[in-house]
Parts: sequence; structure tokens; C-alpha cells
Amino acid sequence: MDALMELFKNFPFLLLGAWETLKLTAFSVGIGVILGTFIGMGRLSKIKLISYPCTIYVEFLRGTPLLVQISLIYFGLPQLGIQLAPYPAAIVALGLNSGAYIAEIVRAGIQSIPKGQYEASRSLGLTHWQTMRYIILPQAFRNILPALGNEFITLTKDSSLASVIGVSELMRSGQFVISRTFQTFSIYFGIAFIYFLMTFVISRIVRYIERRMATA
Amino acid sequence: MMDLLHNEDNQNGKEITIKIENLVKRFGNLEVLKGINLEVKKNEAIVVIGPSGGGKSTLLRCINRLEEYQDGHIYLESIDVEKLDVNTLRARIGMVFQLFNLFPHMTVLKNLTLAPIKVKKIPENEAIEKAKNLLTQVGLVDKMDAYPEQLSGGQKQRVAIARALMMDPEVMLFDEPTSALDPELVGEVLDTMKKLAESGMTMIVVTHEMGFARDVADRIVFINNGIVEEEGKPEEVLKNPQKPRTKEFLRRIL
Ligand SMILES: Nc1ncnc2c1ncn2[C@@H]1O[C@H](COP(=O)(O)OP(=O)(O)OP(=O)(O)O)[C@@H](O)[C@H]1O
Ligand SMILES: [Mg+2]
Repeated sequence: MDALMELFKNFPFLLLGAWETLKLTAFSVGIGVILGTFIGMGRLSKIKLISYPCTIYVEFLRGTPLLVQISLIYFGLPQLGIQLAPYPAAIVALGLNSGAYIAEIVRAGIQSIPKGQYEASRSLGLTHWQTMRYIILPQAFRNILPALGNEFITLTKDSSLASVIGVSELMRSGQFVISRTFQTFSIYFGIAFIYFLMTFVISRIVRYIERRMATA
Repeated sequence: MMDLLHNEDNQNGKEITIKIENLVKRFGNLEVLKGINLEVKKNEAIVVIGPSGGGKSTLLRCINRLEEYQDGHIYLESIDVEKLDVNTLRARIGMVFQLFNLFPHMTVLKNLTLAPIKVKKIPENEAIEKAKNLLTQVGLVDKMDAYPEQLSGGQKQRVAIARALMMDPEVMLFDEPTSALDPELVGEVLDTMKKLAESGMTMIVVTHEMGFARDVADRIVFINNGIVEEEGKPEEVLKNPQKPRTKEFLRRIL
């Protein structure tokens, strides 16, 4: 009984943490999409000086644990004289990380557009960049929306790792409540439930947008 | 299309719009064009025929530099195309593809106005006026707010032709524009192309439509195995081909 009481009492506090989680995730995905778009295009470049670094970036970030990346940025960079507060450090780490995954999604999205679209656009005199901007990317983004939605969901969950550097998002808020109430099961369960609610709602929103776009 | 083309002099035989000299194109070790020579005069409509794999598409794609070539020269109005900025060159050459390649995420009107606005920096309202005018001429002004997927194949191709004409090209290239169409839709596209040719547009048309070649072409060019095997007036080439390969090709296709 106590356990449930504590959960109810602290639920508003946990919801505040959830709000922080959402903001953190949204910022990071925002960075990830911008970064991923350029790196995804870069990987497809014929110029090796562009494509190789992009490939290395993607492989390195996908091949190392996010927890290590967060630690490197928050605990490691200060040694090089770059000191970030927990919140910016988390956004940078999550943004860089999702940038690598989104780059792969964007690359696949670009490759899914028939070559004729690129050629038709170029044959009208549009430049490579204009063609990307007006012809290829708009179509690619329509195709990759479900995958981007998945990435948003993954990042919502992964952002819980920001708790280790003291960002008061949902996970950290929960741990704080536990440290006062000692109700480990009910609070952790409450946290899990809120994460689930968030990812569930996000996946519904993505599906809704997808259907809207399919009929548009 | 009359009013939108600059066709003060409609007789053949004056300026040379496209001149191709000894054009060689390889894909790796495969030599696809083996020294093509061809001249296209202003206002002339050329029909290119020939067996599959002979290099017809590759030739068109070299002209607007969608493909690089290894040797030889292509001149547009006596300027080597390699000396021109590639985007400027392409804006001067219209291209129509077998699979239309309309932009599916844009309305018909947007498909037409995008390039003039972005490449030629024409004001939007001017571009829209011009698009409506051209759509009227291809009989599709009522479809300007439709998306490509809502159009038939023949309508798509007519939109693609109008889209290319928006740039006021000096020459139009057609690569088998009716090959992907249901038979009953071929006529409307060929009619549009015929009107265009009659209005004085300089055209290079790759097609298997021999009726169109006979009625519209000023000259037929037979390309086989990467070279111009034979060329001449339609009545000469179609009725009385000189080369055995041409005879054989025509026997199979007619
Ligand atoms: N991107 C490419 N890479 C390698 N080989 C190619 C490429 N494009 C074309 N080829 C080859 O070049 C040759 C000529 O092709 P092309 O498409 O120009 O012929 P075509 O005359 O247009 O034939 P069709 O009537 O079938 O369209 C063919 O052997 C083809 O396989
Ligand atoms: Mg071809």
C-alpha cells in the first residue's frame, strides 16, 4: 500500500522528469536529423575526401556504447579544456549518436529514390544541391518517416543514460524519489510505465503522420 | 507551341545547333560509342533509330552531359559543351525520358515552375503564367493542380514535355518517349511532338515509331553498334536503305 501511495504522491514529480526526457530527446533528434542528413549525403558522395570521414563517423559511433560516448564527452572533454554542463553534454552526446543512425536511414532513403528523379532534375539545369533540396530529400524523408519515428523512440529510451551525468530527466528523477522513499519496485515500475506511455504515444503520432502523408 | 518558341526562320539549312564530332564513350572496357559524327541544323527534327544496345540513349545523355565521354567533341551553337557551365548547358537542352520522371511530390504546376524559378530566377507569377500557357497547349491546363500519380501515362509525358519547354530550350532530346505507354496513349504524345516539330523546335528523337519517323523527321539516323551506320531523308532510309544492317533492322521492325 505504501508503495502505491508513494508512487501516486511522486507521480507529478516523475512527470516533470518525463517532460525533461521529451525535451532532451527532441533536441537530440533535431541535431541528429540535421547531422544525419549531411552525413548520409556525404556517405554517398563520389569524393572520397567527403565519403570516407562520413563512413568512419557512422561506423565509430554505431560501434561504441552510448554510455561510453556520454562519459567521454562529459567526463573526458574537460581534460582537453572543454567543460560542458550535464544538460548540453547529454544533448551533444545523444545528438552525435543519433546523427550516426539517422545518417544510415537518410542514406537508404536517398538510395530508394529512382535515379531518373535525379537525372530529370539535373537535366533541367538544377544543381546537385538544388536537386537534393527540392527533389530527392523531400521524397526520401517521406519514405524514411517510419524509420525516423523508430529512432525517436529508441532515443527516448536511450536518453535515460543521461542520468549518469546528472541530467534530471525521468530516470534520474525516479532515482531521486527512490533515494527518499526506498520504494524501488513501485517507482521503477512507474518509470517504466511512463517510458512506455511516451513511446506508445510517439509511435501512434508517427503512424498518424504517415497515414496523412500517404493520402496527401 | 508556336508563340513560345523563337522561330523567326523556319527553313532548314542555316545554323547548326548541334554538332557531334568523333564521339567516343566507354563504360569501363566496353566501348559504346565508337566515333559518332552528326550534325543537327536549327529547326530540324532528327529521328534516331537502331537496335537495342546500339548506343542511342548514351548518345542523347552525352549531349546534355548526363554521361561523361572519353573522346571527341559536342558543340552547341558552335561552342564546345565542355566549355559551358554544365547547368547552363542543361538549361538550354530539354530532355524527355521514357519513364517521364515527373516529380511525384509536386503538383503538375510545380513540376513546371520549379526549374525556371530556381535556375533562371524568373519571378513566380511569370513562371505560373508561362506554365498555364504551355499546359493549355498540351491540353492539360485543367490538371495543373493534380499530382503526377493522378495522370495517365500519356498525360504524364505531355506534362514532361511542357516541363522541358518551360526552360525555352534550343533543342529537345526525346529518349523513347512513348515506349512505356499503353498503345492507345501513344498517339496523343506523338501529336504533341509533331506540333512541336512543326513549330520549328530543333529535336532529336529516339523512337521505334516508324510512322512518326516517316511523317515528322527531316532526317533519319540509324545507329548501330556505336556508330552512325546510315542517315538520310525518311523516304530514302525507310524505302531504300543502303546498308545491310539497316535493311535487316527495318525488316524486323516494320
Ligand atoms: N551505366 C552503364 N554502365 C555500363 N554499361 C552501360 C551503361 N549504360 C549503358 N550501358 C551499355 O551501353 C550500351 C548502349 O546502351 P544504350 O542504352 O545507349 O543503348 P540504346 O541504343 O539506347 O538501347 P535501347 O534501344 O535498348 O534503349 C549497352 O550495351 C548497355 O549495356
Ligand atoms: Mg535506350
